[in-house]
Amino acid sequence: MDKNYNTDETFLARWISGELSEAERVAFEKTEAYKQFDIINKESQLLAGPDIDTEAALKLVTLKLQEQQKKPKIIRLWYAVAASIVILISLGTFLNSSKTHITGIGEKTHITLSDGSKVHLNANSSVSYKRFFWLGNKEVNLRGEAYFSVEKGDGFTVNTSKGHISVLGTQFNIKDRNELEVKCYEGKVSFIKSANASKTYILTSGMQVNVNDEHIYEGHFNHETPNWKDGISKFVNQPLSKVLEELTYIYPITFKTNSINTDRLFSGSFTHNNLNTALQTTLVPMGITYKKSPTSNVIILSE
Amino acid sequence: MPEKEPSICEEKIYNQLFKKHYEPVTKYIYYKCGSLQQAEDIVQNVFIKLWKLCATVTFSKAKAYIYKACNNLFLNDVAHQKVVLKHQQDIAKSTDYESPDFLIEVDEFREKLKAAINRLSVKEREVFLLSRIEKKTYREIAKLTGLTVKAIERRMSKALLELRDMLGKEIKL
Repeated sequence: MDKNYNTDETFLARWISGELSEAERVAFEKTEAYKQFDIINKESQLLAGPDIDTEAALKLVTLKLQEQQKKPKIIRLWYAVAASIVILISLGTFLNSSKTHITGIGEKTHITLSDGSKVHLNANSSVSYKRFFWLGNKEVNLRGEAYFSVEKGDGFTVNTSKGHISVLGTQFNIKDRNELEVKCYEGKVSFIKSANASKTYILTSGMQVNVNDEHIYEGHFNHETPNWKDGISKFVNQPLSKVLEELTYIYPITFKTNSINTDRLFSGSFTHNNLNTALQTTLVPMGITYKKSPTSNVIILSE
Repeated sequence: MPEKEPSICEEKIYNQLFKKHYEPVTKYIYYKCGSLQQAEDIVQNVFIKLWKLCATVTFSKAKAYIYKACNNLFLNDVAHQKVVLKHQQDIAKSTDYESPDFLIEVDEFREKLKAAINRLSVKEREVFLLSRIEKKTYREIAKLTGLTVKAIERRMSKALLELRDMLGKEIKL
């Protein structure tokens, strides 16, 4: 039996490529199916493949290659840079971090710095300084009141909100409340309002400087240690407002002054260990009566 | 020891390979997947890979590498869209005896032929189109696909049989 397109699985392929034997071809061309295959074959050969722009594709591939070659390096470099920055910042922040001591109302504390200098911190105050490398640049930030006993050495500076106090082996008190008061008990202290201020105040033993927002006053005193260190606050011709303010630092109280004139001057002292005694010694001589609210810490004042 | 082969790492050689193989291999992949966009993406990715591997692929093995890599990439492209081949019809050679009516019929037939080719399996369509459009011999196709000539002939015959099954009714004799 003759082979044909139904029985021979390579028959049609061989017909297309002209590999059929003469006998096979003649027999095949006589069949009905032949004409259909012939048309399919001829029509298929009229089809065209897609248009392909090789030049454009080469440009695209070259571009992609250039991008890929650059990118990884840049990305890695940026990651490295970013990581380094984060490490540097966190390390810097850590090394630059400050140690802070805070006292609440009525609290007192003392701190010994790494150069042996002592800081006695009065109530409602804080002192902060760099945790590391402090000896290289001895700076202390003060808010409130503190008594400093500084060991001999170079450049010890206290920064306050109203100026900078530089010292060289000495003992002094700084009170930065409504106004700033610097008292030198021993040695020499200099005060400068800001880094670019023209005038530097030099204080020696027994000298003080008082700084408010507008003025700077120089003065003298003759006690040997600040009274607060002995547990009392002493005032000489100070307005009542200052006395009341000081009381609120030592005792957890607030005042309701109503119509009382707080500009009146007061001379005297109050103790830090008994609120009633303190109130009596300050208010009674001024002719002020006071009433302690039973439920809160408000002291109501009246004439 | 034969003469030293040119290195693909040289841009001139690489570009030469690209210009020689890009079009045929893109068509080859296109006949398989039916999307020119996809085919071009596949082939371009292979050429990008070829540049990166330029030190390990020798010049004489480049062609085989390109076809093999394209084929693998095509097979990996699991989510390849349904085959829709868009054959561009060559402008039909106008023959004087064709009446306008017949031309319409021929156009219709050609559309149906394209649709029928699209319905062939990937294996048959690839062989059929490489043979009929690219005019490649069975031996060449066998080399490209890594199959035997006999297998190619079987696929070609099967493709023709299936096309006749699909189109036989359309051919008026």
